[in-house]
Amino acid sequence: MKALLFIVFGFLFASILIYSEAFHWQRIQEMFHFQSFHMFGLLLSAIATAALGLILIKRFRVKNLQGEVIVLKKKPMAFYSNAIGGLVFGAGWAITGACSAPLFILIGFNWKIGILGVGGALTGAFLYGLLKPKLKH
Amino acid sequence: MEAPLLPWYIAGPLIGLFVPIFIIVSGKQLGISSSFRVFVAAIAGKKIDYFNFNYRNDLWQIYFVIGLILAAIVHFQIIGLATVISPEPYLEANPVLFLLGGILIGFGSRYANGCTAGHCIMGNAQFSLASLVATFGFFLGGLTVSQFIIPLIF
Repeated sequence: MKALLFIVFGFLFASILIYSEAFHWQRIQEMFHFQSFHMFGLLLSAIATAALGLILIKRFRVKNLQGEVIVLKKKPMAFYSNAIGGLVFGAGWAITGACSAPLFILIGFNWKIGILGVGGALTGAFLYGLLKPKLKH
Repeated sequence: MEAPLLPWYIAGPLIGLFVPIFIIVSGKQLGISSSFRVFVAAIAGKKIDYFNFNYRNDLWQIYFVIGLILAAIVHFQIIGLATVISPEPYLEANPVLFLLGGILIGFGSRYANGCTAGHCIMGNAQFSLASLVATFGFFLGGLTVSQFIIPLIF
């Protein structure tokens, strides 16, 4: 039952990315060349709407459906890893034209490309786990 | 069937609404790239510290990803949705480069502790400094590669 809930959420999330073409190679190149406002408008309005929702959740101490008052977790600041990891991720985003969710979407779009991308991402995550003790954070 | 483009001023707020609704209904905070860690932990297991954690609590990320893939199968394979310009020619042009891109995404998102979903949307919506730094990194890395390196290849 729980599994089905997350599958439905994943389905809805992917549908927005598909119809807004946010999974699209050309859209991502446009964005990195500042040729179109589409992706910027999408990301900025998403952040603004989400921020408003989260402020309301905190302000009114909203409970989740499990009955607990929602406590938001914030990612810890680690300048070096946020910055360098961010640069590396950005490079991958530009090359594939897809960030994490769109990589999975590509499996359903063209499974050969998708498996290659997700396989790469899992390899990359594995390499990170392997090298983590040696990396500066 | 050709897909009409969902404009940013509808798609963006929909994604924005998704974030609090997802938290309220499921009790989880949006993030996609942590699923990479769960997948590798499930496959490669306990020998490496980073993957030696109880991923049972994070299995929802796998289900979420199944939903992502399912949506793409339904839209592209069953309904036969076509985007105005297909991304395929670019993606198929250089499989080795595409694989490398995937590796950078996996490595970078785990090193940065998040991706576009977790940092750029969820993190920035919380006014997290870590996410602001990561987002600058995403864009600086992306525009450098997109403007200066990709033109050398295509």
